[in-house]
Amino acid sequence: MQRGLSPEDEQFRSEMREFFTTAIPQDIRDKVAAGTELSKEDFERSHRIMHEAGLAVPHWPAEWGGKNWSDLQRYIYLDEMQLANVPAPLAFNANMIGPVIATFGSQTMKERFLPPTASLDIWWCQGFSEPESGSDLASLRTTAVLDGDEYVVNGQKTWTTLGQHADWIFALVRTNPAAERQQQGISMLLIPMDAPGVTLRPIQLIDGGHEVNEVFFDNVRVPADQLVGEENRGWDYAKFLLGNERVGVAPTGWIKRKLAAAKEYAAAVASGDGHLIDDPVIAARIAELECDLIALELTVLRVAANSHGGKPDPASSILKLRGSELQQDVLEFIADIAGPSSLSWDLEAESAIADWAHNATPVYLNFRKASIYGGSNEVQRQVISTGILGLKG
Amino acid sequence: MNFEFTEDQIALRDAAREAISRHRTEPVPGTAPHDGELWKALAELGGLGLPFPEEAGGMGAGPVEAMVVALELGRAGVRTAYSETLTAAAMLGDDELFGAAVEGSRVVVPALFEPMRAWSPTPVDVRADGDALTGVREPVPYAAAAPAVVTTAATADGVGIFAIDNPTFTGARLDLAGVSARRVDGDEVLVQRAINLGTLLLSAEALGAMESALHLTVEYLKSRKQFGVPLMKFQTLTQRAADMYTSLELARSAVYYLAMTLAIRPDDAIGVSRTKVIVGKSGRHIGQEAIQLHGGIGMTAEYAVGHHTARLTEIEHTYGDTRYHLSRLARGVSEYGGLDLVS
Ligand SMILES: Cc1cc2nc3c(=O)[nH]c(=O)nc-3n(C[C@H](O)[C@H](O)[C@H](O)COP(=O)(O)OP(=O)(O)OC[C@H]3O[C@@H](n4cnc5c(N)ncnc54)[C@H](O)[C@@H]3O)c2cc1C
Repeated sequence: MQRGLSPEDEQFRSEMREFFTTAIPQDIRDKVAAGTELSKEDFERSHRIMHEAGLAVPHWPAEWGGKNWSDLQRYIYLDEMQLANVPAPLAFNANMIGPVIATFGSQTMKERFLPPTASLDIWWCQGFSEPESGSDLASLRTTAVLDGDEYVVNGQKTWTTLGQHADWIFALVRTNPAAERQQQGISMLLIPMDAPGVTLRPIQLIDGGHEVNEVFFDNVRVPADQLVGEENRGWDYAKFLLGNERVGVAPTGWIKRKLAAAKEYAAAVASGDGHLIDDPVIAARIAELECDLIALELTVLRVAANSHGGKPDPASSILKLRGSELQQDVLEFIADIAGPSSLSWDLEAESAIADWAHNATPVYLNFRKASIYGGSNEVQRQVISTGILGLKG
Repeated sequence: MNFEFTEDQIALRDAAREAISRHRTEPVPGTAPHDGELWKALAELGGLGLPFPEEAGGMGAGPVEAMVVALELGRAGVRTAYSETLTAAAMLGDDELFGAAVEGSRVVVPALFEPMRAWSPTPVDVRADGDALTGVREPVPYAAAAPAVVTTAATADGVGIFAIDNPTFTGARLDLAGVSARRVDGDEVLVQRAINLGTLLLSAEALGAMESALHLTVEYLKSRKQFGVPLMKFQTLTQRAADMYTSLELARSAVYYLAMTLAIRPDDAIGVSRTKVIVGKSGRHIGQEAIQLHGGIGMTAEYAVGHHTARLTEIEHTYGDTRYHLSRLARGVSEYGGLDLVS
């Protein structure tokens, strides 16, 4: 047992801090800090700067741009990125389809897709969920039927995050309806969003924003060489995609940054003769959230060190569960700090109210999603109770 | 940053586990008496001197090793003056009782509580004029084992530490008027440092108790049948067991980290408070749910799970509860911005 960083890791940390706080444009970082929605162009600028510095996909295999970092280094990288209010490289690219293609794709597929995926020349979206298939994803109904050397795809995906910006979608489709188990009849296909027969319809969310969509497939013809890996193995790839990362599951740097900001906010909002931060109930809530965060972050550091070489791991369920809960707790707290100043959601140049306060309620509402997507918290508890505790329900 | 035990630490854990299982394997109810046999066995292992330097008569290991032993005691649910001895020894400086405490020839406990007064490490109604003490300490842990005592008192020059060789108790009460005490070198910094160590050890014991409470609960959900099926078929129960597991692992991270922290920064008061809060919250959660998920059997003295909850409750109320530590932390939150755990 040993506390603290080695001199090399300290050095690594200061390099990361230097990079994220100087190379990424301030206007983007200010937007992230205030919780203002980013444009497509913001994401692209930030992603490309990281890519040019070799920092967009450091966890990929080395031949495709990876860095062979230790888990601790990966943690430091993510922590510094989040502390600096830098938007993460697009998750659909960097954390989802990239690692899947790098692990299961053919050499041709890797050469075709990995470089533009790393550089964000392809913007990916994730086509897993369907109207009737959420937590029970394996029940999905979108079909793909081989016709010559093309698959013909019919069906509907939903909740497709940032599909409106996407060039391609990686979709789970049913290729063998007769398989003994549902899971064994699913494949993963790569489909261009501008293919004939693909249509996209926006879904507005409770924060008033447009970040998710419905995607419809009507006799969409997809060349068979855009099948990832083997036919009917898509479920394994999806499980890999959802469970291969431990270090990044809980956004502890983000939460830390928000909690530090919450203190600044509480010190800025007047209350009586002083400020909210002088209220012992507010101070105690900060202290408690800090304790909760410390417990989570230390757990990230502790379990990351024992990661199982990329295999899905039930321990990452604790991190997803607590990470989303704490994210939500901190945003709820910030909305409470903003109080009546949060009642107008519109950012206005002449406003005496800070952007963070205008944004506080929509951001709070938006992040109710964190305990729903990527395996809801109830599903995470199920993984813990069956996978770790051996309680077979 | 490394949370793994070394081989030596694992060997120590196994030795402690083995010593405990030779002496007593069942948790004991209520405010149990000091288990002198087990305490001697721990002394033979060198367990009582672990965090103290060899030149002083200790084992020259550290708080991590002492934590390893405390964790095993908590897991087994046994009661012996382990954290008490180490906390007392840490206050004794070069007093002659130190050697007796760490080699296990004398039970020495800290007397730090004042009756009907909320926890404070600073003595209020216990005062000293020279070596003459006044005031009352109550409850003194394991008083029935006739221990020697280390206590603190307000003196003309700040907090003083006093050793008392053969005090007479009334139950767990120690009236200090007229007892023969001698002043030990050291001030409130040393007292706080000892309490920090004591808090770590109690937190480790709590972690062990949480581990066992969850283990018992999981086994019970697998074996107990109602409505013709094992309880684990009911998701309302398994989801709660999953939350208990999460609480346990959060507490584990905090306890291990505090041990590593105290090894390099024995005066880290903020670290101690944060750990006590994390352990306090986890302990409440796990202790209460463990009883609830057992149903009636969880209420019985015959069955272990409730005794773990009792121990967790005692630990919550020792050296400051969650409320105490939260308000201590709250007073300082404006003095820094973000957290930094790794450097
Ligand atoms: C903002 C947002 C963005 C998203 N982005 C994407 C995306 O880009 N791509 C994509 O494919 N999907 C995306 N999703 C979809 C997301 O993965 C699903 O919402 C999620 O899997 C839950 O499915 P559902 O919404 O159908 O809820 P349901 O599965 O219908 O669940 C309803 C409730 O029942 C609970 N529940 C369900 N099953 C169980 C069970 N077995 N035991 C106990 N409780 C259970 C759930 O936890 C939940 O509380 C997104 C969702 C949101 C909200």
